[in-house]
Amino acid sequence: MISLSKLTKTYGLVPVLRGVNLQVQEGEFVTLVGPNGAGKSTLMRILASLIKPSAGEISIGGWSLPEQAGRVRRHLGYISHQSLLYGELSALDNLLFFARLYQLDSPEKRAETALRAVGLYGRRHDFVRTFSRGMTQRLTIARGTIHEPDILLLDEPYTGLDQSAIETLDQMLVNLHSEGRTILLITHDLLHGWRLANRVVVLHKGRLVGEIRQENVAEEDFLNFYREQIGA
Amino acid sequence: MNLPFWQSVATIVWKDLRLERNTGRTVSVMLFFSLAAVITFNLALQGDLAAVRNVGSGLLWVTIVLAGTLGLNRSIGSEQENQALDGLLIAPIHRAAIYVGKVISVTIFTAVLEVLLLFLFFIFTNRPFLQPAVLGVLLLGTVGYVGAGVLVTAMTVQTRARDVLLPVLLLPLTLPVVLAAASATAVLVSRPDAAWSEIGFAVSLVVFYDVLILVSGFFTFQFVVEQ
Repeated sequence: MISLSKLTKTYGLVPVLRGVNLQVQEGEFVTLVGPNGAGKSTLMRILASLIKPSAGEISIGGWSLPEQAGRVRRHLGYISHQSLLYGELSALDNLLFFARLYQLDSPEKRAETALRAVGLYGRRHDFVRTFSRGMTQRLTIARGTIHEPDILLLDEPYTGLDQSAIETLDQMLVNLHSEGRTILLITHDLLHGWRLANRVVVLHKGRLVGEIRQENVAEEDFLNFYREQIGA
Repeated sequence: MNLPFWQSVATIVWKDLRLERNTGRTVSVMLFFSLAAVITFNLALQGDLAAVRNVGSGLLWVTIVLAGTLGLNRSIGSEQENQALDGLLIAPIHRAAIYVGKVISVTIFTAVLEVLLLFLFFIFTNRPFLQPAVLGVLLLGTVGYVGAGVLVTAMTVQTRARDVLLPVLLLPLTLPVVLAAASATAVLVSRPDAAWSEIGFAVSLVVFYDVLILVSGFFTFQFVVEQ
């Protein structure tokens, strides 16, 4: 579903990603972890076609990036700690806007269905700037999934959420995964990412330095594995 | 450019108009600035009505250009909030649709301002600013100015010195269209029955600039917003 080969990104002379190779299978939930500056968000932004790689090959759903970015974008949902929403538009108008951008049939119905799914239908006419962080993040998920993408890219979606909002988001991600979506998650919360994923991949100084499957591995063993990989 | 392209453009314009309806923050800033500028010009030239009449067209364009810069910064800046521009960039639309949509939105905002300015200049100078031909020249000049402005604003909006960089880059770039449009406006205001031969060259220059900048923007916008 997602295939990266020798992916490299440099800013000027500074290498951020150094020949990353990664395969993510259809329906798999992969968490990408690593210390600050490892290149996680850069990798995610390349996959979302927001920035171009310096070298390497990327294939998503059989289409190559950046050459076939338009086709790839139709199948991608991107959710980050930034909502990408307009604070001065209502929740309904925000979703209507994205439903129309994705040229979905019956955008009004799709927007209302998405609002019901995240429990915000009652607040549909309120401006997003009046929402709590948790509500905004639920709306962000509605925005990122309104076109029912096959692949979800999640870049630190838990940032700033309280415990209740984290649990709600967890349940949403479990549901989205159980519907067969391929999910790639970046998080600083190691155990959180570990519990949700089928597989955890460690990125350190722009290189993939290790990966571990979740089955039959205790949390403590995973943490030890992570520390070994980053040399902590 | 197929139907989905224009649907994307219409969606972006719809969103910008909704935002403006909800906040009024682009047009209101432009209006307040313009009002202050017109009053200042009027007070500064108070003693000399002939001077006001002679430089009226120039003052009109100075006001439009400076207010337009504010409008551009506001309109494109709204895409920076919550990184909303990323939301547009990850959508499966042609990136030129974002450019065209933004040009149309800011042109609409500026056109609203221009209608009010024509009233004000008519009142303050007692010159025939309220003519369809004058409004036509203003709109043509505005398309070129905004076309260049959206491109330059997209380049500068992510820099720390965007408030300084925008006018520094934009004003020289748009000098040809502003000069030509101001010249045609001056002729039309001084002689409402002016023949085409008197304004033809200036108007043609404005149209040529519009086409040149819109085509350039259409093909280069995607490189401006990509990293």
